[in-house]
Amino acid sequence: MAVEKILRTEKLKMEHEVNTALEDIRVLDLAGQSGVYCTKLLADLGADVIRIEPPDGDPMRQLAPFYHDEPGPERSLYYWHFNTSKRGITLNLTIPTGQEIFKKLVNTADILVETFQPGYLDSLGLNHEILRAINPRLIHVSITGFGQAGPYSCFKSTDLIGQAMSGILYTTGFPEDPPTSLGASQAYHMVSANAAIGALIALQYRDLIGNGQNVDIPMQGTNLRMSEMVPFTYWVSGRNRQRSGLEYYRMQRDNFDCKDGRVICSALGGGGAEQMLNWMESEGMAGDLRDEKYVDVIAAMMGAAPPGRGSKRNVNQRPPKSLKDYPDEIPHIEEVWQTFLNTHTMEELFVGAQTRGVRLMPVNNVKNVVEDIGLKERNYFVDVSHPELERIFTYPGAPYRLSETPWRISRRAPLIGEHNLEIYGEELGYGLNEIEEMKKAGTI
Amino acid sequence: MPLEGIRVADFAWVQAGPWVGRFFANYGAEVIRIESAKRLDWSRSVPGGPEITAGGKVQRGAYFVNFNCDKLGITLNLSLPKGIEIAKKLIAISDIVTDNFTAGYMDRIGLGYQELVKVKPDIIMVEMPVFGNTGPRRTFAGYGTGIQSAIGLNSISGMPYRRPGLNIALPDMGPNPTHATIAVLAALHHRSKTGRGQYIELAQLESSLGWMETTIIDYTVNGRVRKPQGNRIPHASPHGVYRCSGEDSWCAICVSTETEWKSLCEAIGNPSLATDIRYSTLSKRKENEDELDRLVENWTTIRSRWEVMNILQSHDVPAGVVETGEDLVTRDENYRSYEYYIELPYRDGRAYCENTMLGFSDTPCRVRHAAPEMGQHNDYVYGELLGMSEDEIVQCYVEEVFS
Repeated sequence: MAVEKILRTEKLKMEHEVNTALEDIRVLDLAGQSGVYCTKLLADLGADVIRIEPPDGDPMRQLAPFYHDEPGPERSLYYWHFNTSKRGITLNLTIPTGQEIFKKLVNTADILVETFQPGYLDSLGLNHEILRAINPRLIHVSITGFGQAGPYSCFKSTDLIGQAMSGILYTTGFPEDPPTSLGASQAYHMVSANAAIGALIALQYRDLIGNGQNVDIPMQGTNLRMSEMVPFTYWVSGRNRQRSGLEYYRMQRDNFDCKDGRVICSALGGGGAEQMLNWMESEGMAGDLRDEKYVDVIAAMMGAAPPGRGSKRNVNQRPPKSLKDYPDEIPHIEEVWQTFLNTHTMEELFVGAQTRGVRLMPVNNVKNVVEDIGLKERNYFVDVSHPELERIFTYPGAPYRLSETPWRISRRAPLIGEHNLEIYGEELGYGLNEIEEMKKAGTI
Repeated sequence: MPLEGIRVADFAWVQAGPWVGRFFANYGAEVIRIESAKRLDWSRSVPGGPEITAGGKVQRGAYFVNFNCDKLGITLNLSLPKGIEIAKKLIAISDIVTDNFTAGYMDRIGLGYQELVKVKPDIIMVEMPVFGNTGPRRTFAGYGTGIQSAIGLNSISGMPYRRPGLNIALPDMGPNPTHATIAVLAALHHRSKTGRGQYIELAQLESSLGWMETTIIDYTVNGRVRKPQGNRIPHASPHGVYRCSGEDSWCAICVSTETEWKSLCEAIGNPSLATDIRYSTLSKRKENEDELDRLVENWTTIRSRWEVMNILQSHDVPAGVVETGEDLVTRDENYRSYEYYIELPYRDGRAYCENTMLGFSDTPCRVRHAAPEMGQHNDYVYGELLGMSEDEIVQCYVEEVFS
């Protein structure tokens, strides 16, 4: 086994001529939507991730959006995005011949990631104890909605339910609307990223001690972090944190229009009000805000915002007076600020404020993001080749840049059964006839 | 504990950075948080943030207490040359260095990666400059609320008729601390194979973009600029948040398959609905979604949110209470059973901290103690670990090196 592994690693090295951090690690990927980002993270760090699909294809291939909006199992952008750098095989886990092959794969694997309801693998005769007996070094990561053993362990979950039952959903949106979710399946990303941490912590332990283990990753628990201490606020004060629309914790509005869109920044740049007032004055746009009567309120606004480079607050200073003491002045200040913002574009305000030390940010849509000169200059986006379509597409790039073992997308998502011959034939040693038989029997 | 034997010199502050160290501390690493009163951590003093009760009164700093559980704490003044010299001694006996200062700050004070490898050749260093160390935005900075709007998350979240805005700071809690932790753990594995450390640059903007799902390729491949869709998604219906009995009371219901659709119809006592021509397929249900949502809400609105969840889940239909803080702390059985938050002694009172969430079968870990006071472990770190004499330590206090 060890020799095979070294050969595999050497082969990968020759192919790509770069070291990757996890190139010696094989991952079996049985993850649904809640875990598929976990295995993408491992694959793009170089692990040999083998995605195992049912013979008729993964249900995830039915998820929109599709290439040119035409549905088809090889056209799901959802599948493409989350399965980069992986190899793919088909295998029917519900029949004994499939289970035997799976056990052989487990014997070659370092990590197994699955998102089944608790008890499902047991019903297939593939529970953790059995897998561990086959391979004591196996790290078995189980992602579920509510954990393996708790009172809700048999409940089904989704991204929206993950957000609902961790306190995020109740607090996002406007008070007069129903609770409103975050886009782009944040709950799935959160549990997946935590699962990758769990897998790698277990790997660190295995590198030292030698044993694998089971890692139980609940979506509800891991998502509590994203709710920013909703339970905590209740515990301390007996109050429920409420939906507050555009106002963040500090009770200041920080979402304003500008010439061609919107920006995020509290009025006058909060802690950087001095710098922004100078800028506004230089363009004759500061109105009467330099009058004596605004000195105190602007000082309070500077203290109420998070301390940027412009802030003078430190441990020895008294906290500022509350903004609630200035019900008349604040709307006027916001009006002058708005008039100034209307004369500039998002990019002008972003660059102008940031170069003055004020942390203003644009409210981008995806077009703004893809065209952003900062991201372009850093070559953030990557091109991924889809040879069967004779096309190259632009994908989101590295979430982190490792100097010795760079992140990379080594290939587009696998087609259905694309690596059956490579893995069943070359690696597990089944003959071509046997593989044909397995296909006929519906095993693969 | 799985990370025993790993030492982290944690220079990070505010939120996204300290959570990297917290992962390591919670699972057994010795994490030494370096602070200075000269540059006080925002999370110790944030006005308007959550507070703690101690000394019989409400105090600021609850964020800090939660973000730095299980760590050791020392004070060190990095604006003095002697502070830098001592920082290097600590780094020389550490495995990992973390910080989230603006780009180039550690280089300017003499603690850049090139300097650190001189005292510890296999050090793993992670830095989290918002826009990265290079490029036209490298001197810019920002917070989670701004980063999530710059990556376009605001533009795809919320009700279609509202201004795009989110009243949380997701990047600080989600992608950035988790990605940084993943990168460091991967680098540790590489080090255990090769003996080599490395430098990790996590540009928070780029890291957060990794959580935009298909938003980016839907644009680059299909040219679509996605807009907010409320609680709806393309491949499920009904899918949303439904009003239940009681004030501001809601339950999420998500039907993704035909089996779940049939089960929902049975659960709400209307099995014939399943074959109703208006709702018999996903595309039909998407066409008539407003009407369908009203039908579902007619059933939920006269039941409590817990009743709705329990009835639907007993029929294998994914449903979940939209929980308030009070729901989590007092009503959610799973939350209590797993002790997702834990009460810990803090000063002369108690603190309430997020517990560990990763369940390791062979090396179980729970949060052990609340965050350190400023300089609480100066004696241990400077005396025992770095072997400084009592005189040297006193001298450092006099010279404000430890302030």
